Amino acid sequence: MIDLLAATTSSVTSIPLGITKEGNWFLQNAWLIPLIPALSFVGILFFGKRLPRGGSELGIAALLIVFLLSICTGFAWMDHRDNFHGEEISQTLISSEHGEHGEHGEHGEHGEHGEHGEPSLAVVNTATWFITGGVEFSVGTLVDGPAVMMLFVVTLVSLLVHIYSTDYVAGDRRFTHFFAFLSLFSSSMLLLVISENTLQLLVSWELVGLCSFALIGHWWEEKDNSNAALKAFLTNRVGDMGLLIGVTILFFASGEMIPDSFGSFSIVTTNALASSGLLSHSTLLIAACCLMAAVMSKSGQFFLHTWLPDAMAGPTPVSALIHAATMVVAGVFMIARLYGVFFEGFSIGGSSINLMALIGGFTTLVGACLAFVQRDIKKVLAYSTISQLGYMVMALGVGAWTAAMFHLFTHAFFKACLFLGSGSVAHSVHSFDMKSDMGGLRKVMPQTFRTFIIGSIALAGLPPFAGFWSKDEILAGTGGWGILGGTNGNGSYTFMLIMGMITAALTAAYMTRCVYLTFFGEFRGHGHPHESGPRITIPLWILAVLAIFAGFLNLPKGFQLVPKSLQERFGHYVEPVAGYFPEIAHATPSWSLAIVSTIVVIAGISLAWNYYFVKVEKASKESGKSLTELPDGLTTRLTLARMGHTLLVNKYYLDHLYTGIITRAVKEPIAELAYRSNQEILDRTVDTFGRTAVKIGQLNYEKIDQNLVDGFVNASGRISSDSGEELRKIQSGKVQSYAAILFAAATILAGLLIVIV
Amino acid sequence: MDNLLDSWGLTVATFSPLVGALVMFLIPKEKEYEHKIIALITSLWVAFVGLMLLIWFDLDATEKLQYVVDKSWIDAIHSRYVVGLDGISLPLLLLTVLIVPLCIVYSWNHFPDPKNPKTFLILILVLETGMIGTFVAQDMVLFFVFFEVVLLPMFFMIAVWGGPNRKYASLKFFLYTLFGSALMLVSFLSLFFLTGAESFVFSEIADNVVANAVSRTAQLWIFGGMFLGFGIKVPMFPFHTWLPDAHTEAPTVGSVILAAVLLKLGTYGFVRIAIPLLPDAAVEWAPWIGLLAVIGIIYGAFCCLAQTDMKRLIAFSSVAHMGFVMLGISTLTDFGINAAIMGMVAHGLITGMLFFLAGSMKERYHTLEIKRLGGLLVQAPKMGWVLGFCAMASLGLPGLAGFWGEFPAILSAYNPANGLPVEIFRTFMVIAALGTVLAAGYLLWLLQRSAFGTPKEEFAEDPNIHDATKTEWVAWAPLLALILAIGIYPNLVFRATDAAVDASLTPCLTIDVDELTHEEIESVHCSEVYGLGNHDSDHHTASKG
Amino acid sequence: MSTNLMIVAFERPAIDWHAVAPEIVLLSVGVLITLLDILFLEKARPYMAALSGLGILATAIPLLTLGIDGTERVLFDGAYVVDNFSLVLKAIFLLAGYVVILLSTNYIVDGDYWESEYYGLLLASLMGMIMMASSRDLISVFVALELLSIPAYLMVAWRKRDPKSNEAGLKYYLMGVFASAVMLYGMSLLFGVSGTTVLSEIADSIDAGNGSSSVMTLGIVFVVAGFAFKVSAVPFHTWAPDVYEGAPTPVTAFLSVASKAAGFVALLALIFVGFYELSNIWEPLIWILAALSMTVGNLVALRQTNIVRLMAYSGVAQTGFMIAPLAVAGHSLSTGDQALSAIVTYLAIYAAMNLGAFAVIITLARRTGSAEIDSFSGAFHFAPGLTVAMTIFLFSLAGIPPLGGWFAKFEVFRVLATSGETWGYLLAVVAAINSVIALFYYATIARKMWADDPSEKDLNNIEVTPSLVSALAICVLVTLLFGIFPQLVARFTEVSLLAFGV
Repeated sequence: MIDLLAATTSSVTSIPLGITKEGNWFLQNAWLIPLIPALSFVGILFFGKRLPRGGSELGIAALLIVFLLSICTGFAWMDHRDNFHGEEISQTLISSEHGEHGEHGEHGEHGEHGEHGEPSLAVVNTATWFITGGVEFSVGTLVDGPAVMMLFVVTLVSLLVHIYSTDYVAGDRRFTHFFAFLSLFSSSMLLLVISENTLQLLVSWELVGLCSFALIGHWWEEKDNSNAALKAFLTNRVGDMGLLIGVTILFFASGEMIPDSFGSFSIVTTNALASSGLLSHSTLLIAACCLMAAVMSKSGQFFLHTWLPDAMAGPTPVSALIHAATMVVAGVFMIARLYGVFFEGFSIGGSSINLMALIGGFTTLVGACLAFVQRDIKKVLAYSTISQLGYMVMALGVGAWTAAMFHLFTHAFFKACLFLGSGSVAHSVHSFDMKSDMGGLRKVMPQTFRTFIIGSIALAGLPPFAGFWSKDEILAGTGGWGILGGTNGNGSYTFMLIMGMITAALTAAYMTRCVYLTFFGEFRGHGHPHESGPRITIPLWILAVLAIFAGFLNLPKGFQLVPKSLQERFGHYVEPVAGYFPEIAHATPSWSLAIVSTIVVIAGISLAWNYYFVKVEKASKESGKSLTELPDGLTTRLTLARMGHTLLVNKYYLDHLYTGIITRAVKEPIAELAYRSNQEILDRTVDTFGRTAVKIGQLNYEKIDQNLVDGFVNASGRISSDSGEELRKIQSGKVQSYAAILFAAATILAGLLIVIV
Repeated sequence: MDNLLDSWGLTVATFSPLVGALVMFLIPKEKEYEHKIIALITSLWVAFVGLMLLIWFDLDATEKLQYVVDKSWIDAIHSRYVVGLDGISLPLLLLTVLIVPLCIVYSWNHFPDPKNPKTFLILILVLETGMIGTFVAQDMVLFFVFFEVVLLPMFFMIAVWGGPNRKYASLKFFLYTLFGSALMLVSFLSLFFLTGAESFVFSEIADNVVANAVSRTAQLWIFGGMFLGFGIKVPMFPFHTWLPDAHTEAPTVGSVILAAVLLKLGTYGFVRIAIPLLPDAAVEWAPWIGLLAVIGIIYGAFCCLAQTDMKRLIAFSSVAHMGFVMLGISTLTDFGINAAIMGMVAHGLITGMLFFLAGSMKERYHTLEIKRLGGLLVQAPKMGWVLGFCAMASLGLPGLAGFWGEFPAILSAYNPANGLPVEIFRTFMVIAALGTVLAAGYLLWLLQRSAFGTPKEEFAEDPNIHDATKTEWVAWAPLLALILAIGIYPNLVFRATDAAVDASLTPCLTIDVDELTHEEIESVHCSEVYGLGNHDSDHHTASKG
Repeated sequence: MSTNLMIVAFERPAIDWHAVAPEIVLLSVGVLITLLDILFLEKARPYMAALSGLGILATAIPLLTLGIDGTERVLFDGAYVVDNFSLVLKAIFLLAGYVVILLSTNYIVDGDYWESEYYGLLLASLMGMIMMASSRDLISVFVALELLSIPAYLMVAWRKRDPKSNEAGLKYYLMGVFASAVMLYGMSLLFGVSGTTVLSEIADSIDAGNGSSSVMTLGIVFVVAGFAFKVSAVPFHTWAPDVYEGAPTPVTAFLSVASKAAGFVALLALIFVGFYELSNIWEPLIWILAALSMTVGNLVALRQTNIVRLMAYSGVAQTGFMIAPLAVAGHSLSTGDQALSAIVTYLAIYAAMNLGAFAVIITLARRTGSAEIDSFSGAFHFAPGLTVAMTIFLFSLAGIPPLGGWFAKFEVFRVLATSGETWGYLLAVVAAINSVIALFYYATIARKMWADDPSEKDLNNIEVTPSLVSALAICVLVTLLFGIFPQLVARFTEVSLLAFGV
């Protein structure tokens, strides 16, 4: 606290926040966007069962509306970004001369952001939520580039998934409930992306977690599904600890700067203070680490990623929407939102390694490796998602903010496409197991096959598909390496570049394997698979198209084949140039890097091709039945490979550690211990008090109170034999002992007092 | 109307239940229907009065006592009949007048054995008087009397209508609480004597504490006495052992009232009496209270994980949740105490609701052994969803009431009032945050084992297991609605409490400033004298722009 | 001349007839009863109870007039005083006596014991108590004491066909005599030192400096010990359980309330009027007695299975509470006054709730034919009204608001906690802990009566005689009223004796 106070010595009395209250109607009223799905949730919950289509129509209608709204908001934002010259709001600070408490300061200067020209003023619209501790907490919307981009992605994918689901989960026992939760999820996710403050972010963050829990456990009759749901929720809770604490730290840290207030949840304020170096670095570092934990759990970063593959227990549309395209990127989005904090906290600029980049890079490798050994097609995609999320986090870690956002954007489309494709396959073969129930489906499911291929290529990152552009920008963003150099990035993260390259190769390879096992060779399953209906294939095609063309939205600067006006459109509109955003450098991509990465990808593909499409194909021909791997593959020959394989099959034994060791330890020994100690120690002491009291009473009663001493009793017995028979029969004449007590007591007391007084 | 309310509102609210009980006392117990009707009407009438009180309550002056009545009561000991309502009491009063009618409705058709609705309902009404009285009393002796009045009815509720082990549980509950309150009384009296106040009225005592500068040691001892009294009622670790037994054995309605209101008497005592009257000692005690609070959070959670009985699990969860409340209180910041009051209300609604559910499940399954439950969602889907809803609310899911008790408490622990060891409290904060994870653990595990999956074969065909009935819905709907409403718009509670808590902490200001040296006072912003909150100026918005 | 001398020498002390009117009325009623018995023998029997009851009510009339008049009346050079203190206590005695008569009516008839004698003795004992309230002189104190004790000895042995009763009577008698002996010895010592028997003069001589001698100490201790026996304070309580158990229950009620109260009156008069200055002697003495009585009484009570014995020990514990304020009474005059009024308050409330408890016990015991606690279990099923009443009394004894007992205990705590003495706080804590222990057995009885299953078969409601009903009604009413409006009792019990002491 004190050192933070010290930071105020800098003479600034107010800093520009890079936000404004004015703006187009759509930008002002973005709050409608989360509201509408929320209403449809209520509607479906209460009337869904009575509606002809079980409430699905409500959901689709709502999503359609918000999709259109988001589009309008998007265009409104583009216009705003280019042509808005209104007043900028700045934050008054505590300073040496306790000056003017003006809310509106002077127009902020941002000449240094020249490369993106005019600053982009985010449109903020807040209302009081509640007041406690004398502080007003507000709820509101912060509409800027990333928000608008996310609005588009979420509403689009969600809409497609809605349509897809009407076929996919048709006739499900909880059809209505499924759509209700889809609506609730969309609502909370949209609330999250336009959150104005961290508290609101936290709330929606947990709400999407809830929906994920409910949808993973959609078929809760089976223990495995409910287990997966619990695992997802609890793992996220672990991360949320970090979120709670991180948010708290930032709350008070920024509060120190603001007069007449002790805390602030406002994202822009916090960012602005952090970016302008007014908050102590140590505080920011701690906060960033705490928040990182939340990112790791939500965005499935190593080592809190284990819930994500299990989450595939949910219906496939859910996996596509929540566990690939939208919710899992919430962590990435949160970093992007609070980038000021992370950028300063991890001092990303100018360094060559930091925690975030490391975690991201490591995750992307780990995920990619695991994707190799999966039989379940959805698991492959799940691990690929983990790997790609790692890519994004790594990108943010190296300062390639725009690249990360762009990859998030493109990934949403092709990964959703792949998931829905796998769903379409599973829909017809009634299984997710590639090895036992698939193969050779290209003939019977051409639509699915084509879209899946497109998605895979995009994911693998072959030009000119979407994945290529975003991936390449990330690699460039690492600051390059020698001639590969995307130069003048934020630092020289060579290590990350290598990781990225390796992952690119791995990705290409495992997708090839996946494609072969699913669509090539001979059909290994039972029944007669058939192509899915239009409600499934149309969304697939829409996504596939996007997977092809989305990449062109952000053609790199200096890409000579197109006019300048078409370069970096995405970056121009999405990346904030404002007080609440740190001043990051932008690497200039290079042909050499692009070429090398493409070569790497091709290498990856051809290796896998050689193994599956050539060797395995041949082997199956010989053996006459469709094989999925060579009888004498590497793992059978090389011990090292076998060990590696087992390690991967056991997911690095992380699940054993979490479920087997930690959770069980808490659930059984520790909890037991606590409870036993409660019963045996705490509770027992209480009872013992009571019992001893009673014991003492008894003792006193029998020994002292009734008979002073046995001697007396005997004596009295003898004496009383003289007194009447009657008496003796009844009871030894205690009178004597009583009398003795009386006299004794009197004398003792008297003596005592005489001595004392 | 207004004037009538001013002079009579609180008194009527407090004693109407007694009148109802008296009437019922005169009616022979065979007339069960009449008894139910009278009890219901009485409690509804009280609820109505409560509503009136809310409507005419001046929410812009919550720090001011309203509807104050000041009549002579026991001149001999300078104790007066002073009742009043401020922002701290208001939510708890409303909670009480809401819960009681719901309990009566709930038990309408199924009274626990041995039936005898007459006595049962009379006890509930007497209980209501005691609870309302405690929340409105502004005089130590009066407070003490009401504080004790609740003991008897609850004792009999557990002892007569309770479960198999009811005798042990009821006596334990009674002795435990009485032990605390006896010492509490002693400290009340010695405080009264040491301050040399003219009466037992809180405000007066408070003034005199500041004026006559009661010695620090004396304050510490007195606070200790109160700590025992209130801490046992809360209950705080390690005085909590009466709670699981009491809850497990009590009849459903008993548990509901116990969880929803009775536990709050303890925390309310801290907020209303111990801290405002003895700020000096409070600062000394706070770290220890905080420590016990976080131990309670973790410890309660672990005990929950070890439970095999659903009701007992919920009971232990109360220990954990009240830990959050106490943590908020121990920060001595108006932020933390607001959180605490929110926590009380939320816990009252949520845990009360959970006990209702436990009761209904017990009726259907005739057991609450978690191993034997399962598949509730299949056999009684609506109940299952309600259970899920409450579990989520209880584990502090944002958007539901529980969150606003937990998160602000954690938040406030990061930055406790001046004079408190910041590092220690931040450690508490982290531990408390860990508690939220464990809470999610045991609650979801309970949900999974009781609601998910398929029914065990022993109950698979049981016709007795049906979905929630009409009366149950009537009793539950208000609670569920409130949990959601407060979750979405927490200002429903904070609006009332904020200013009041702020005012109740004002003594802290003087105390802390006394401790600081001159230049420290210069350096310390007035807003930080309590660590939190600005008490010199109107409230500025925290998140600008 | 000589005659003149005679005339001069014999000066009939001026008697304020109004002041002694109550005593006279009561005396005449007693005489009347005896005469009627002698004249009409059997025929008079049925009317005796009513008559003595009326007699007591009649006695209350002059009491009222005195109270209204309000002036303090000093007779026989301060040996006999009628002030608020004495009036209040006389009122308490009369009320207690009246209730006891109500309790006795059927009991004595059913047991067909001698009635008229019984009531005669009862009135005589009551007479002694009333005198005790006014006595401010060692002699009159002693006379009053014997007058109230000796009839009690007889009444204890009233169930003449029951050896237990006889034994109790004998025991009580012997112990009483021992106690009187000790007390008398103490008194003689006091007289020896101060050379006077009038308490106020003893006080003066203590002021004069005779207080220091250890003889004085001895005297005080013995006198206090003597009365400690009457109020059955540990370690002088040993007789109580046996006697209570043996005696006819109404008599037990009488002993546990009235004669205990009488003992207190004397103790208060002695300490406050007589040797208030020597607080350094009696404060520690009382402290020990109080602490012991509470703790031992409660602990032993925990083990009792017979409700009468239990009430005996609870009575011992209650005594501890009652004398506790005395342990700090010497702190200051105001504290002294508070202590006095606290004790008187306690006596008044205790009388109501304890008599009530005994009333219920008598009724239930007549139904179940045993005083074992277990025989009361499930009483709620066959005697709901009585159970409720008993609950009220028990928890009032335990001191749970809003029942009268809480205020009594509260007063005690108040005095202890507001004296500002460490010893006071200590005793307060002891008392607090004891009040919890006490609750343990009170609550257990209540729980048995409510929660357990009845031990016997027939569950048709018990019939309660009108006299018992009225007795119960009085007790319940008083207990509740004093609890909810303590001012009622507090107004009367704000009495002071220290005007004399200093």
